[in-house]
Amino acid sequence: MTRLVEVPTSFDDRSFDQFAGAFAQAADGERLLFDAHAAEWASPYGLVSLLAAGQAAARRGGEKPLLTAPTSGDVLGYWARAGFFREAGELFEIHGKVPRTKPLEESDVLLDVTPVRAAEDVHQVVSRIQERASAILAAKLGLDPKATMGFAMALSEACQNIVEHAGTGGWVAVQSYHWRRRLGRQVVVIAVADAGVGFRHSLEPTQSKRFGDRWGDAAALEAALIQGTSRFRDPGRGQGLAGIRRYLSRWDGKISIRSGTARIAIVPKWDDDVPMREGLPPFPGAQVLIIIPEQGTATP
Amino acid sequence: MIQRIDVHEVLQRQVSGVYADLVTRPTGRAVREEIERTIAGVEARVTVIDFTHVGCVDYSCADEIVAKLLRDARVILLLRGINDGHREAIEHVVKSAGLAVVLEGPDGALDVLGSPDAATQLLDQLVALQLAARTPGGGFFLTAA
Repeated sequence: MTRLVEVPTSFDDRSFDQFAGAFAQAADGERLLFDAHAAEWASPYGLVSLLAAGQAAARRGGEKPLLTAPTSGDVLGYWARAGFFREAGELFEIHGKVPRTKPLEESDVLLDVTPVRAAEDVHQVVSRIQERASAILAAKLGLDPKATMGFAMALSEACQNIVEHAGTGGWVAVQSYHWRRRLGRQVVVIAVADAGVGFRHSLEPTQSKRFGDRWGDAAALEAALIQGTSRFRDPGRGQGLAGIRRYLSRWDGKISIRSGTARIAIVPKWDDDVPMREGLPPFPGAQVLIIIPEQGTATP
Repeated sequence: MIQRIDVHEVLQRQVSGVYADLVTRPTGRAVREEIERTIAGVEARVTVIDFTHVGCVDYSCADEIVAKLLRDARVILLLRGINDGHREAIEHVVKSAGLAVVLEGPDGALDVLGSPDAATQLLDQLVALQLAARTPGGGFFLTAA
């Protein structure tokens, strides 16, 4: 039997829980059909999370999951330019016509969907992003040119979470776009997703006793993002997410991390998100979203 | 005697000739271990760690290299070629660890990053060892050659 998992027509961090809910209903060994035929838009978060879902489905065993590609030519073209199908080809049996489009040199895709499996991949990501990001961050977002290095640091630390904690590979994508509906400003978005062990499992051996009955996905996210704890006992550990927070506080940015059944966020004034959401449909691994908005008149 | 170590050269040997960025724990560990071996092989009072040709330094590498070298230091470390981006990561990890480190600016002036107590103690130590002297303006410069 094949179970249908509908990909939301507008697939981003907000519609992700609807997707995760459908995904969570599948039983082990059941073949999944990810239906994206009606997709009208997907954020970098949507694209890397869809790959993570494919990764998780493959791990459950059974046949390779199916993916129905978007029917809209524009959507299909964007997914191809963003590098989605290059990665999806290994994870899904794809149905539909997939264009052979190379990622555009001159586009707002700062980093196409890129696999992150080892430290070497993080080096490559950081190296590739700096030249392109520098122009975008300064010209479109009004950030100080010196902020580019901080951006590369934040990206590096976000990717390293996969290498150090996921126990499997994941993906990163970076894009700049004008966020009309929610902000009315240009933004740069970093999306990182994996279907690994997640924060709760990673921190359990060192943190669960401290939290007692409160221990769970939400407590693990709080320990990692707010308290800067790490599964490693080395005293210098756990600084990566703290570093990202410092960078984002300077540039009025947002970070949210979803893992298991919870999602934590550092919410800037321009956003109406909640700091913590619990009891969400379970989804493996961790999905990180970082948003840096165009700078307004206020000095950071 | 002052020993000088070019971090970019170490990075090129340890990771790849392609990358100029100090990112990830494994990279930081490999670079630090080579620096430790180099320090152990020479009797020097001060070791200058030169970051001049290094691109980005992330928090993981700053901790793995600078904070860990400071914790185990048998010599005084002096950082050179530090830009604002490097400074951000290094200052954060050094301060978090309750440590301090000396930076040498392009004009030879010394600056200290880290926890205030450790920074004062470090400058006093440099002066007491006659490795640094106070300028009339209240700053510090290196006297050792």
